[in-house]
Amino acid sequence: MNRKHFLSVAGAIAFGSSVPFKRRVFYETDDTKTNDTNDSNDINGGYRKPPSLKQGDVIGITSPAGFITFEEIQPAKTVLESWGYTILPGATIGKRNFTFGGTDEERLNDLQQMLDDPKIKAIMCARGGYGSIRIVDGIDWTKFIAQPKWLIGFSDITVLHNHIHKHCEIASIHSKMTNSFPDDWTKAEPIQIETIISIKDALKGKKMSYTLMPNSQNITGSTDGILIGGNLKTIESLAGSNSDINTDGKLLFVEDTGEYLYSIDRMFWNLKRTGKLKNLKGLIIGGFKIKPDDAGEEFGKTVQDIVLEKVKEYAYPVCFDFPVGHQRANFALKCGVQHRLKITATDVSLNEI
Amino acid sequence: MSKIPPYLKKGDTIGIIAPAGFMPLDRMENCIDTLNDWGYHVNTGITTQSNSQTYFSGSDAERLEDLQKMLDDSNIKAVFCARGGYGISRIIDKLNFSKFRKHPKWVIGYSDITVLHSHIYSNYKIASLHAPMAAAFNDGEFNNQFILSLKDALEGKKAEYECLPQDFNHPGKCSGELVGGNLSLLVHLSGTESDITTKNKILFLEDVSEYLYNIDRMFLQLKRSGKLKKLAGLVIGGFTDSKDTERPFGQNAYEIIADVAKDYSYPVCFGFPVSHEKENYALKIGVKYQLRVEENRVSLKEG
Repeated sequence: MNRKHFLSVAGAIAFGSSVPFKRRVFYETDDTKTNDTNDSNDINGGYRKPPSLKQGDVIGITSPAGFITFEEIQPAKTVLESWGYTILPGATIGKRNFTFGGTDEERLNDLQQMLDDPKIKAIMCARGGYGSIRIVDGIDWTKFIAQPKWLIGFSDITVLHNHIHKHCEIASIHSKMTNSFPDDWTKAEPIQIETIISIKDALKGKKMSYTLMPNSQNITGSTDGILIGGNLKTIESLAGSNSDINTDGKLLFVEDTGEYLYSIDRMFWNLKRTGKLKNLKGLIIGGFKIKPDDAGEEFGKTVQDIVLEKVKEYAYPVCFDFPVGHQRANFALKCGVQHRLKITATDVSLNEI
Repeated sequence: MSKIPPYLKKGDTIGIIAPAGFMPLDRMENCIDTLNDWGYHVNTGITTQSNSQTYFSGSDAERLEDLQKMLDDSNIKAVFCARGGYGISRIIDKLNFSKFRKHPKWVIGYSDITVLHSHIYSNYKIASLHAPMAAAFNDGEFNNQFILSLKDALEGKKAEYECLPQDFNHPGKCSGELVGGNLSLLVHLSGTESDITTKNKILFLEDVSEYLYNIDRMFLQLKRSGKLKKLAGLVIGGFTDSKDTERPFGQNAYEIIADVAKDYSYPVCFGFPVSHEKENYALKIGVKYQLRVEENRVSLKEG
C-alpha cells in the first residue's frame, strides 16, 4: 500500500528563498518496494545497507557531541518505543562535561560499546552540538564493519557519516535526533510528525521518496548517484583529514545554520577547490539559516547566487530548498544509498532506488 | 630555500590595493603618508578608490585585475594589501603568477591575505610579508613598534622579536622556515591547491572573534590534516575576542591550544605579538627563523 502525505509547509523549508508563497513537499514511502529481510547483503554501489529494524529490536541512544539530560530524550524514547523498539540510553545520557555529553573518553566508550554490542541494531545520536571530531579517530570500526547497524543523526554527526562513508562504506541515516522530537506527539504539527515518521520508515527499510515544489533557480536534469553530505561547515572542517569524503559520481547534499553569507561563500569555495563539486552527479541544497550581515558589510549575494556561480561550468542538476537542515522540515536521508534526483520545471523528486 | 624578493630602496614604489573587503581611501591616508615618509612612492590601485556598494572593494574581475596589475608591473616593488575581510579565495585561482615568479616582490598583509601568502609559498616558494595593514596606521599608531617592524622588514633588516613567557609554553629551541597566518583561513585552504605543508617549519597562528568550540575544531583539523605532527616549532599569537556558546566550552583559547599541543615535544610559545590587535609584528613567511622558548625569555630571530 502506498502512503502519501501532502504537507503544506509555510516558510519552514524556504530558507534563503526569495519566493514568499507557501512551499509544499510530498513525502511518501513505497511499501511494495520494502525489503525487510537480509538487507545487509544488499549491494548498493559498493556501500552496504545495515539490516532493517524489526519489532523488539534495540536502539541505543548516545551523546558523541553535546550533552543532553534524561528528561530531554524522553519524548524520543516514548515515540521510538511506541514503534515497537526497545530503547537503551547509553552512559553518556545525563552526563555532562561542560558543553560535552561527558569527557572524550566517556563519549568514545559509549559510542564504541554501542557499535560493538550485537544486540543494538541502531544508534541514534541524542543531539549534535560539537564534539564528534574529538573522538572519531579513537573509534574501532572493526565490529561495525563486520555487523553494520544504522547510525542516526545530523549537524555535528556529519563527522561520523562522512567518516563511515569513507572508511566503512556503510549506509547511515541523516535525520533529526532525540532533541527534535516533539514534547507532546498529540499536539505536534504535521511537519514534525512527518519528519519523525521518515526516520521510522528509513529504519524499517522503506525506500525514501520525496517530491517538492521547484525553486525557480534550480538546474533541471535527472541523475542517479550515491547520496552523501551533511553540514557544510563540518564537511569543510574534515577537508584534508582522514575523514574527508570523495564526492565523485555522487549526489551531494549540504545544509548549514548560523553562518554569515561570506562564510557560506568561502565554504563553497573550499568544496570547489578541494574538487568536491567537479565530478558530482547532482547537488542538493538544503536549508541555510543565515546570520545577518553586519551593518556596512552587506554581502550582496544570496545562497542561490553563491551556489550557482560555483557550479556554472558543470552540467549536473542542482536543487534548492530541499527539506534537510536545521529546521522543522528536516527529513531522513540515507547516506551511502543510491538515489535518483529528478528536477524538472514543475517539480523535484529524490527517490531511493 | 625560498626565494626572497628584493628589499626596498628609497624611491621605490609600493602598490596599495584592497583585494578583499571594501575600505574607503580616507582610511588609508595615514598609511600612505607613512609609507611616503619612509621614502617610498605609493601607487593606489583602482580598488582603493572604489565606489562599490557591496561588501567587496569591487567586483571579482576588478579586484583580480588590480592585484594582477600590481603583481605584473615591474615599477611596483611591493604590493600592500590595505585590508583583509573576505575575498581572496574568490580570485586566487584566476591569478597568473608567471611574471611574479620571474620578478618576485613583497606581498604584504594578513587575515584574509593568508590565502595569498599560503598560495604563493606553497606553489612558488617565494617569501611574503605577514604584517599590519592600513587600519593599523590610524589613530596615531603609525609610529608604534609593530608598524616600525614592517618598515624594518621592507628595508631588509633582520628581525629579532621578544615576548614574555607564558604558562603553557614548551621550552626549547629550533629553527625553520616560518609559515602560517590566520587559523580560519589556513583550515579553509585544507585540501586545496593553496594548502601548505608544515614539516620542519615554524608555524604561527592567530585568529579573532571565533567561537571557542570552533578554535578547538580548527586545531583538530590542523592535527588531523597532519600539520602539527612534524613541526619544528609552534608560535601562538593572539586569539582575541573569542566567543563562547550558551553552554560554556570550559576552556579558554590558550587552554584549548595547549591541550592539542601537549602531544608534541617541539618548542611552543603563546602570546606572541601577531594578532588582529595592535600587537602584530611583521613576519616573513618562507624565511628562516630561530625560535627560543626559555623559562624567562622568548625570542623569534630571523636567520
